[in-house]
Amino acid sequence: MSELVIEAEGLRKEFRTRRGELRVAVQGLDLAVPAGGVHGFLGPNGSGKTTTIRMLLGLARATAGTMRLFGQPVPRRLPAVVGRVGAVVEMPKFSPNLTGRQNLLLLSRSIGAPDTRVDAAVESVGLTDRDRDRYKSYSLGMKQRLAIAATLLKDPELLILDEPTNGLDPAGIREIRDMIRGLGAAGVTVLLSSHILAEVQQVCSSATIIGNGRLLASGRVEDLVGGDAVHRISVPDAAAARSTLESAGFVVAPDSSGQPEGTLLVEAERPAEVTRALAGAGIWLSELTSMRPDLETVFLQLTAADTLGGHLTAHTGPDGGRS
Amino acid sequence: MIALLRVELTRLRWRRAVVLLLLAAVVIPALVLAATAWNTRPVSEAERRNAELTVEREAEQPYMQRQLKRCEAKPERWGAAGGGADEVEAACAEAILPQAEWYLTRSPLDLVQEREEGSAIAVAVVLGALMLLLGTTFVGHDWNSGSMSNQLLFEPRRARVWLAKGLTVLAVTAGFAALVLAAYWTGLWAIASSRDLDLPDGTMTEAYQQVLRGAALCGVAGLGGYALTMLFRSTVATLGVMFAVALAGATLLGVLGVPTHHWVLPHNNAMAVLVDGIEFTVWERPGCDGGPRVPDRCVERITAFGGAVYFAVITLAASAASLASFGRRDVP
Repeated sequence: MSELVIEAEGLRKEFRTRRGELRVAVQGLDLAVPAGGVHGFLGPNGSGKTTTIRMLLGLARATAGTMRLFGQPVPRRLPAVVGRVGAVVEMPKFSPNLTGRQNLLLLSRSIGAPDTRVDAAVESVGLTDRDRDRYKSYSLGMKQRLAIAATLLKDPELLILDEPTNGLDPAGIREIRDMIRGLGAAGVTVLLSSHILAEVQQVCSSATIIGNGRLLASGRVEDLVGGDAVHRISVPDAAAARSTLESAGFVVAPDSSGQPEGTLLVEAERPAEVTRALAGAGIWLSELTSMRPDLETVFLQLTAADTLGGHLTAHTGPDGGRS
Repeated sequence: MIALLRVELTRLRWRRAVVLLLLAAVVIPALVLAATAWNTRPVSEAERRNAELTVEREAEQPYMQRQLKRCEAKPERWGAAGGGADEVEAACAEAILPQAEWYLTRSPLDLVQEREEGSAIAVAVVLGALMLLLGTTFVGHDWNSGSMSNQLLFEPRRARVWLAKGLTVLAVTAGFAALVLAAYWTGLWAIASSRDLDLPDGTMTEAYQQVLRGAALCGVAGLGGYALTMLFRSTVATLGVMFAVALAGATLLGVLGVPTHHWVLPHNNAMAVLVDGIEFTVWERPGCDGGPRVPDRCVERITAFGGAVYFAVITLAASAASLASFGRRDVP
């Protein structure tokens, strides 16, 4: 098992509203992010993602639980490891009347980095032409780029990005996605919190899904989405087809989603396995549609169950696969 | 820590509101100095001639002549009796007719008066208010823009961040106020010298001592504004609380029947520090309701040391609360 860069056990965050009501934002969350690669951090709005990130970075105090970054307990030993961590938390936050460059210079000088680091960071996010403009004149996309440039000032080993593509145009999203992928490939561990599940599926090697402040699932992305696809088939004789497929070892169920009679759902790795089995029994398909589950489907299933009060908590072991 | 101090100094220098406040801290004393110089300028020959003409016109008025005649007829009523007719006439003229000096009331520049109750006090008070605003707005902007959390992502040791910002505010406000106040007094001295005015011994020594005391007060004001804004996390909230305490505090104590001593009020302590101690007559005390001589028991004193202790205690308490709050509370 690879070294863990982020560890959290039994993490809990309570706070009181202005009316004095007690709210639990995070309740007993366990989190483990291995070194290297891009790790997705998913959850519906208000599920506790940002609060968890803020606790890891020392911006919020945990009510209970333990956290470690690079094996060091935080927040106590955060100063020892903060130089290895770059982070964008929620919306970018800079002084609006200073230029983008001035904002970065203040941050880089606070860690004793040379001013040339600012030039490199600005260039890497494509802000060279606008870095001397006031921050308040930036578009949301440019603000996001500046926030990412700020994370690069430290030359980080761990990058924590909370919705980094918010406000970016499609070209910008692709650029940031490529950059994240490149950083992951270069050995930087990236924790990517995002609502864009297709993006996470494209970029991330592993992911954690949380809901209502609790862990719902965690593991490699391919394990989370499951191995077998579901295929919808239309046949003239559904009963005969079902019997044939079940005797061949497939899991078969009638399609109750309003399809015409004679439509079945079959779980199989490849559609050819289904057609071969049916053809062998002299049953000919009139239609076959493959429906491979994606991260969005898994996410919606998990979070819907959680919202409905279910206690579905899925974990993957070292060999993957949800449980 | 040195790197952080440099960063905070740069941040302060780059903040537009701070630059405007520092500009105001130069322009306002310069205007006050110019006004003081103008209001104490020596009387010109033209002004004196004008006053004499006015006196002559007044003296020729019929009612004035009637008064003069009445005086000369019964000089004892006017305190002009004795001597011969010429002497009575002169005494009556002096008692009744207007004098040119009455129309030349402008006082010459008096540096002792300026130091004890004049423009130097006003300048120090204005500077104190500006430095308080500077300390408040400097860090209020960090909270308002949300950039405080960004700063903590680079330096998570909150006590160091608090101290670096606080020391920067203290050094800049006290240092800048010292420069402005010293320049103000040097300006007053230059004006007095150019008018050949006699300065009592030690006048400028005491003036520069007041410069140091004023600078210290301005530093405390800046630090206090900073500490409270770090506590309330908003410039508006800090100013609102200060305004409420200043305005409503004494009134509330009065309504509640709590006796308000002179030493409780901040402006009295500020004056005590600036002018090296002040005295009050407490008219409310039994037996202190007037009379030709005020008994000692009716007089309260606030020494410069007492005033300094007052501000030191308040600033330390505000700073301790601010530092503890910043260290413990979540940062948005």
